Amino acid sequence: MPDQKPLLDLFLAYIIRFWPRILSLTWQHIMISSIALAITLAVCIPLGIYLTRNEKAAPYVIGVANIFQTIPSLALLGFLIFIFGIGNDNAICALFLYAMLPVLQNTYTGLKNVPKHLILAARGMGMTEYQILMRVQMPLGLPVIIAGIRVATVWIIGTATLASAIGGGGLGRLIFSGLASIRNEVVLAGALPATILALVADQALKMFQAHADPKRRALRLSQKTETSADRP
Amino acid sequence: MVIFDKATKIYEDGTRAVDRLDLEIERGEIAVLIGPSGCGKTTSLKMVNRLEELTSGKIVVGGKDIHSLDPVELRRSIGYVVQEIALMPHMSVAENIAIVPRLLGWDKKRIRRRVDELLELARLDPARYRFRLPDQLSGGQKQRIGVLRALAADPEVVLMDEPFGALDPISREGLQNELLELQNTVKKTIIFVTHDMEEALRMANRVVIMRQGRIEQMGTPDEIQDNPATDFVRNFIGEDRLANISPDSPLDILVQEPILRVKPGRAASEVLDMMEDEGCETAQVVDKNGKWHGMALLWLLKQASRKGLSAADGLTRERKLLIEEATLRDAAEMLADKDLPIPVVNETGEFVGIVTQAGVARLTIGRLTRKRREVKD
Repeated sequence: MPDQKPLLDLFLAYIIRFWPRILSLTWQHIMISSIALAITLAVCIPLGIYLTRNEKAAPYVIGVANIFQTIPSLALLGFLIFIFGIGNDNAICALFLYAMLPVLQNTYTGLKNVPKHLILAARGMGMTEYQILMRVQMPLGLPVIIAGIRVATVWIIGTATLASAIGGGGLGRLIFSGLASIRNEVVLAGALPATILALVADQALKMFQAHADPKRRALRLSQKTETSADRP
Repeated sequence: MVIFDKATKIYEDGTRAVDRLDLEIERGEIAVLIGPSGCGKTTSLKMVNRLEELTSGKIVVGGKDIHSLDPVELRRSIGYVVQEIALMPHMSVAENIAIVPRLLGWDKKRIRRRVDELLELARLDPARYRFRLPDQLSGGQKQRIGVLRALAADPEVVLMDEPFGALDPISREGLQNELLELQNTVKKTIIFVTHDMEEALRMANRVVIMRQGRIEQMGTPDEIQDNPATDFVRNFIGEDRLANISPDSPLDILVQEPILRVKPGRAASEVLDMMEDEGCETAQVVDKNGKWHGMALLWLLKQASRKGLSAADGLTRERKLLIEEATLRDAAEMLADKDLPIPVVNETGEFVGIVTQAGVARLTIGRLTRKRREVKD
C-alpha cells in the first residue's frame, strides 16, 4: 500500500520530483484566474457605475448576477460546455459569470453610499458628471469596491480548480487526478498552492483596500506634505 | 447683479415652488431669503446656479441670462455653500478650498497662494490647517472652510444655503460676525437662505420674506421690523424675536393682565370678597385714568377691613417695576425673593400690567421647547 509512508514524505517526494509540472499548472491557474478576474472587472465596474445612473435597471441586472452566483459552479461549468465546448474558454466564462455579483453589487452600493450632499456640492461647484465620478464618488466608494473585488478574487481562484473537470488546465488537474488515483499527496500538491494563491491574493487586496481608504490616503498626503512644508 | 424676472419653478407633480419671483439683488449686497419650509427660498437659490432649472421666467447674473450659459461654467463662476458643509472627506483643507480653482485650471503655485491667502483671511494659520482633514476640524472650522471654498475662485456672486444651520448657537454667532467682517473685505453679492429670523436680521442688507413661492415682504431689517406688511410677517418676526430674549431683554413680553383690577374707592371688605371669589391674593388698584394706586394684598386688606377702611388703605406701593427700565433679570430676582405678582408701571405712573412667576415659567418652558438659539449676554 502506498499509504505506508507518512503523507508528508510522499508529498515532499512528489514535489521534488514534479515541481516543474506543479509550477506550470500554478502558472496556468494564475492565468485562468487573472483573465477571468480582468473580464469581471472590465465588465462589472462600468456596469455598476452605469446602474447608479439608471437605478430602475439595477434590481434586474443585479438579480441576474445573483442567479448566476446561485447556480452551483460545477453545474454552471457543465452547462457552458454546450456553448463553449470544453477547455479554458468555458472555464473563464463560467468564472466570470460566477464572480459578477460581488463586484457589481459593491461597485453599485459603494458609489450609491457616497452622501448625496457631497455630490450636490460637487455639482454646485461646477464639476461635470464625469468629474464627480472620478474625484468624489470613486475615491469615496473605492474601499467598498475593493472589498467586492476581494471576494470575487478568492472565489475565482478557488473555483478555477474545477476548470480541469471540463478539460481546462490549472491546479485542479492535480486535485482531480489525485482523487481519481487515491493519492492524497497529489491532491495536496494541487490544493496547497491553490490555497496559498487565494490567501496571498486576498491579503494583497486587503492591503490595497486599506491603502485606498480615503482617510488613510489623506493622512498620508498630509504627513508627506507636512514634512516637506517644514523645510525652508 | 442677480435679477429674477418672473422666475417660476413648477415641479413635475404640479407644485409651484417659486411663483413669478421678481427680485433684483445689487452688487455687494447680502440678500437674505427667509420663510417657512416649503416657501421656495432654497429652490430660488438653486435656480441661480441651475441646480434647479427654471420652468419659466428669466434669471440674469452679471448681465447674462443664465439660460444662455453652460451650467458647468456658470456654477464655477458662482460660489456655493451648502448647509451640510459638504467638505470632501478624502481631501485636505487645502484641496477642498482648491476644488474650483482646479476645475478652472489654475496652476499649482497660484492655487497654493490663493489657499494660504484665504486661510489667513479667516485667521486660520495656513501652516497648521492646510493639510488637516475635515474630520480633524471643529464644526465651526469646517463651515469656515466651506465659506472659503466658495470664495476660492473669487466669484462675483456667492450662494449660501443655510450655511450655519448645523452649528451650535455660539459658533453660529461667531461665524455670522466673521462672515460680515469678511464681507467688508471681499464685497461679494451674497444670496443667503435661512429660516432663522435673528440670523436674517443680523446678516442682511435686505431681507426677502417668502411664502408659498412669492415674496411676502422685502426691505432692510429695520423696515421689516418697524413696518411688517402683513400678519404673516408680523408673526414670523414676532415668533422669532421671542426666541431671542435674554436676561437683559425688556420686560414687555412678560407683562400680562391682572386677574383683579379694582377702582381705588372700593371698600376693603368688598375687594376681599372679590379676591376670595377669584382665588387670588392680590389686586391692582387703578383709577379711571389708568393711574396705578398700588397693589392690594390679602393681609393688608384684612387689617384695613377690620378697621372698616377703604381698599386704598390696604395697598403696597413698594413693589413695582418700571416698564422703561426693568429687564427680565430684575423681574426674575424680585419674583425669586417673594412669590407675588409684580405690578408694572410706566414713568408717568400709569398701570401697564403685571409680571408673575407663572408667566416667567411659561416663557422659559416655551423657549426650551422651541430649541432655538441660546440667549446671548
